[in-house]
Amino acid sequence: MADSHLAEAVRVLRDEVLDTVQHGDRDPPGAEVFEALLRALTIGGESIPGLDLTLHDAVARRLAWGDSEEAVLADAELVFDRLMVSADRAFRDPADQMVVIEAATQVAVTVSRVVALAAVAGAGRDRAARMREEMSHQQLKEVLEKQKATIQRLEHELEQDFR
Amino acid sequence: MTQQASPIRIAGDTHVGKVRTMNEDALILEPRLGLYAVLDGMGGANAGDVASQLARDAIRDFVLHRRAELAPKALLEAALVAGSTAVFTAAQQHRERHGMGTTAVVCLIVDPKHVVIAHVGDSRAYLLREGRLQTLTRDHTIVEDLVERGLLAPEEAERHPYKNVLSRNLGARAEARVDLLELELRPGDRLLLCSDGLYGYASAEAIQYLLGSGDAPEHVTRDLIEIALRGGGGDNVSALVIEAPAAAPSSTQVVRTSGAVAWWQHRQRFLQVASDGGLTKNPIVRGLAPQEAIELVALSLCQAIYHDLEKSTGVNVWTFAQNLAAGWFERGGDWKAVRGIVDILGGAARAVVDDIRARDAKLGFLLDVAVSRALIVVELALGGLLAERLRQIDSDLIELHGAALDTVEHDTLETAPPIEGSIERPGERPADRPGERPAERPSERSIDRFIDRPTIPFLRPDRPVTSSGESSEVLGAIAKAITIARGRLSPRAELVAQILVALETVATDSGGNFAAAVLAARELYGVRSVDNAGVMPLFDALDKARVVATSSVHQVRTSPAIRVRVLRALCIAHQRLVAAATGLVLEAVVPFGERLREVQVVTGELREAVARAEQRRADLERKFATIVDPSLPWGARGSTEW
Repeated sequence: MADSHLAEAVRVLRDEVLDTVQHGDRDPPGAEVFEALLRALTIGGESIPGLDLTLHDAVARRLAWGDSEEAVLADAELVFDRLMVSADRAFRDPADQMVVIEAATQVAVTVSRVVALAAVAGAGRDRAARMREEMSHQQLKEVLEKQKATIQRLEHELEQDFR
Repeated sequence: MTQQASPIRIAGDTHVGKVRTMNEDALILEPRLGLYAVLDGMGGANAGDVASQLARDAIRDFVLHRRAELAPKALLEAALVAGSTAVFTAAQQHRERHGMGTTAVVCLIVDPKHVVIAHVGDSRAYLLREGRLQTLTRDHTIVEDLVERGLLAPEEAERHPYKNVLSRNLGARAEARVDLLELELRPGDRLLLCSDGLYGYASAEAIQYLLGSGDAPEHVTRDLIEIALRGGGGDNVSALVIEAPAAAPSSTQVVRTSGAVAWWQHRQRFLQVASDGGLTKNPIVRGLAPQEAIELVALSLCQAIYHDLEKSTGVNVWTFAQNLAAGWFERGGDWKAVRGIVDILGGAARAVVDDIRARDAKLGFLLDVAVSRALIVVELALGGLLAERLRQIDSDLIELHGAALDTVEHDTLETAPPIEGSIERPGERPADRPGERPAERPSERSIDRFIDRPTIPFLRPDRPVTSSGESSEVLGAIAKAITIARGRLSPRAELVAQILVALETVATDSGGNFAAAVLAARELYGVRSVDNAGVMPLFDALDKARVVATSSVHQVRTSPAIRVRVLRALCIAHQRLVAAATGLVLEAVVPFGERLREVQVVTGELREAVARAEQRRADLERKFATIVDPSLPWGARGSTEW
């Protein structure tokens, strides 16, 4: 079976794998993972960087809209697990089944990789922000010292005047 | 035969490597003949380079003089035989050069769609077609011959002591047995001719990645050599890339090239429309000179869009929008100003696209789509920030609500009448009694941090069990696949080998609770720095292990049904392992956020202290001013400025 036909066969499983009935007209969780899988199967020769970019965009969008990393990973895993079960039942030709299993695994682990990358980048940003905060501590302390000196001088001068 | 005007792009280069002192490789780059080759010389007493150069010259001369007489395939075969004869004759004439020889992989471009490849020895030709890499040549080594005859298993070949010993070369005999291959090139195909110094020190995945990168052949050649050098560079490295003419450019390519350039050429128009739209009057740029405001905001977005068009990405525009809005919100700015400035910039972008469309309708249409996409990215970035603010407000409300509940609870306890004896009072918590472990408060119970949990939270308990109930046949096949995979690894790939062992453990784990995946991931993770250099090698190795393991499944001699089950078990095990490793990364990054919040609290306290001191200073100065002698000038008391 050609890869494009395989993608069509997998597309039929969409409702079952994503449990779309539960989510009405909204995109069910993990839809981006399923779409990436279809794309990988359709294009066949989709390069790893291409898949990486697609999922990077999708994951970044979900994180930007407030989903946690754990939620993104859990959805990817749910899609992967359901697809394993559905593929076992839906494909009779072992060769087709193997292609789908390999593609699904690649997509699922790419999601994990992208999430890990995003987390590491976030840690880098936090580290830089902390350094900036610590530098501002130093400046604020210097300002505070100067203020204390000014206050002491004023208090002293006031005492002199009262005398 | 290919002429100079051929649209085929070619680049080749060679490097001595990091260990050898002399480069024994040689290249042929003859566009007028359509002749390209990589030769890898061998033999003692400085004869390796002599052999490769002799063969190179002989092959080139033969093709030059006989190309009109012979058909391409026959021409190439005869040219390689001529090369072998030249080397053999020279070796006979000079005793110290006895035994010298060379490999050769030669490509003759008959026309832009038709090539002939000839090879002898272990230099290779690869074809990258539609993103997939395939080896076109079979190494002429003793071990490969044994494998082909079925006398040696493929997994044993990699470890065989004679794996580098050639069974054929040019120069061992006057004659040479040449392997020939005719190939129809398709648009965008890329051919790679290389010596063993490349594929011996760079993984097939890396070669595939670089060859498929879309970069110009000269850049690909340079990067391929660089990656082999990084892999050790233990031999001379040569690479020659031949790229077939690409099909008509896709919309993306048009936007990346012509679209990006057209956009940049219209930047003055963009700035003008933004200025006319009232950008300089927006509250966000208040205090800046008009020209400065235009450059800081409009030109920055113009540049961001240009770079994003060039790379077909949205990262620059995203960063621009986030920085602009986050900075404004941090200063206490309102949403209306952000909306206003984004609308002005969006209007300017559309005006530019309209201008371009008036001159070139097709390019204008494509650019319209791409620029609209960039503007959507801006909206998404702003949406992300707003969502972040909303989350912050939510968490503040939850905190306040929790604090209010605690206060009510505390007041209730304070006012409850004391009851003697051990009878538990209504509302009393065990923690309130001495000697007992404090119970969690409701707000504490809700704090369920990732790092406090015993295992990876998204590993659900109701997940299907992979290997429970698998037959011994499947388990045996899993072990075989892993053995084959380990045999294919180079001795340097220790981490990948460890991962393969972990994969087998997880895939054959009968527990089904995936504790094995978490334990294995913890062991593989070890101690790592939380940055790309620390974390990415693990994920790279996991990826490589997956590729090696899944491709090894196809080599296991068993029924297709069993093979599917083996692949399924290994893939699920791999997914669990990667998920667990990702969980560990998420666990490792938590302290960074916590430490940042801690120092932010200290910053807040310091700012408050400064504000209090400032208040005190102002009070003192006012007091001072009321008692000071009015006849004295203020300056005589000295400055109170700090």
